[in-house]
Amino acid sequence: MFQFIFDTLIRSVDLALIAVALSAVYSLIKFPNVALVQYAVVGAFVAMSLHAAGLPILLAGLLAALFVGLLAVLFNVLIFERLLKVDSAIALIGSLALSMILSAVFLLTYGPTAYRFKLEVTPAMRILGARITDHQITTLVVTAISLGLFALVLFRTSLGREMRATATNGVLAAATGIDTRRVTNVVVFLSGMLAALGGITLAMRGSVSIDLGTNMLLPVFAAAILGGLGNALGAVVGAIVIAAAETVVTNTNVGPLVGADFYFLPASYAPVASFAILVIFLLFRPRGLFVSEVSRV
Amino acid sequence: MFDFFIHVASIACLYGVLALSLNLQAGFTGLVNFGLIALFGCGTYGAALASGMGWHPLLGLPAGIAMAALLGLFYARLGRKLSSDYWGIATLSIAEIIRISVTNEQALTGGAQGISGLPLLFAGLKPYDGVARLALYAAVLALVWLFCQRLVKSAFGLSMKLMREEPQLARSLGYDLDRIRRVVMLVSAAIAAFAGFLYAHYLTFVGPDQLVSPETFLIWSMVIIGGIANNRGVIAGAFLMQFAMAYVPFVKDALDLPTDFVAAARLIIVGGGLLAFLLWRPKGLFPEKVGGSNGR
Repeated sequence: MFQFIFDTLIRSVDLALIAVALSAVYSLIKFPNVALVQYAVVGAFVAMSLHAAGLPILLAGLLAALFVGLLAVLFNVLIFERLLKVDSAIALIGSLALSMILSAVFLLTYGPTAYRFKLEVTPAMRILGARITDHQITTLVVTAISLGLFALVLFRTSLGREMRATATNGVLAAATGIDTRRVTNVVVFLSGMLAALGGITLAMRGSVSIDLGTNMLLPVFAAAILGGLGNALGAVVGAIVIAAAETVVTNTNVGPLVGADFYFLPASYAPVASFAILVIFLLFRPRGLFVSEVSRV
Repeated sequence: MFDFFIHVASIACLYGVLALSLNLQAGFTGLVNFGLIALFGCGTYGAALASGMGWHPLLGLPAGIAMAALLGLFYARLGRKLSSDYWGIATLSIAEIIRISVTNEQALTGGAQGISGLPLLFAGLKPYDGVARLALYAAVLALVWLFCQRLVKSAFGLSMKLMREEPQLARSLGYDLDRIRRVVMLVSAAIAAFAGFLYAHYLTFVGPDQLVSPETFLIWSMVIIGGIANNRGVIAGAFLMQFAMAYVPFVKDALDLPTDFVAAARLIIVGGGLLAFLLWRPKGLFPEKVGGSNGR
């Protein structure tokens, strides 16, 4: 049982950082940026290269996150600000196109093989019967700290107040003297950093390859939509729900249902669980568990 | 070389039909469908079903269209409450669910290996079978084009465009948006399934690898590059993209580049083409004709 809870927790941590980033950006610029999952892959690759060049892992991760943050701002200014003037659906297509180009860049620079961090592997600890590795603990700590800092910025600083004001009513915020463009780019920068950290922690516990981003896309979206797109911290709850669903689907013995003693669904059905939850939610509760968005036509 | 040209032109005709189907949804009605390839998949697996069951191959067509119609109705039902970006994600998820299920249900669908050995169209006409098939596909493309032209110029076509431009206004004028969405999805699903049926009997093989989401984005690039909401434009886009994709390996051989280059170049052609056109020429090569006599 504890193993189950722990598996769920780790999987939700995988999703949470990127989903929070997606949701935070959505709250300001009203379109789901698909390319965020690729930013996570960029973060992982850059951190890996820096680490291989001899930097300590913490520094490498931080530098990579800063780099991805700047990259996200650059893409936002060059591409998405222009596309958003047309339509949010056009911006969505543009972000898909950007992810394809990034995939091509990964393919040309790193090739199709999977990469790992060169880290020491220690045997798993046993806590309450669950197998837990060092890197899983590190991931939990990194995620908790980054989400904590993000929440602090959002709720305890004047910048955070400006962000929330811009998200709620951009025109009004601009009228009161908030530079909404700057606020948006700060959020885009933070979202890039969060996504990169998400990618790096994923890579620390396994490997990173060029299709990591595409594999993460729909689970991350499911988590963000479940939490209510635009509600950054709701995405954390969404991530936990999705992770629990995936873990249940792959760990439940459905043998009695099909007349066999033991029958487990193939692991490739795990994503189906999250997509199905996403579709059901969109059918019956399109605005997510909590919130906040105005109803649309 | 000539055979290869015929082959690429045949595939381009079928993708032209798919691009017309997407154009009805995305171009004229403003429905951002990222799950188009699943509707196409209904057609291919309809053909596979007929072959697996030992039915007459032609029975695969109604089977495929029936499956596509159901899926299209489900898409339309989902679209009732969702704005376009959410709907795009929802349709993408459904297409992925279908692809993963098809891959895993070995007994029903042949799993990842797919189903091979479907009868090839016009196999008896060798050595002119390729040309005969191309002629058929071109005729189908022309017919579908004619149908789409008639549809978008009809009164119903005007209501589609009104729904795209001003949904609130359309609703206030008494148009039933749900009905418009349903009809458009049914019609375009049938068109996509038809293309899938022909495609299955062209490759004589049906498998889940044909249903990956990049295929949908390829069709999107055809529509955007050719000219969204211009039926002639999207056909031009389909030919342009198919030929560009098909000749990438020759460039690789000529310049002696590594094999990864082919996959990367295709991603860049689709992604870069989409992005470049969205940024600098959002109306595509052949912009939509606005106004005019409307042929009436």
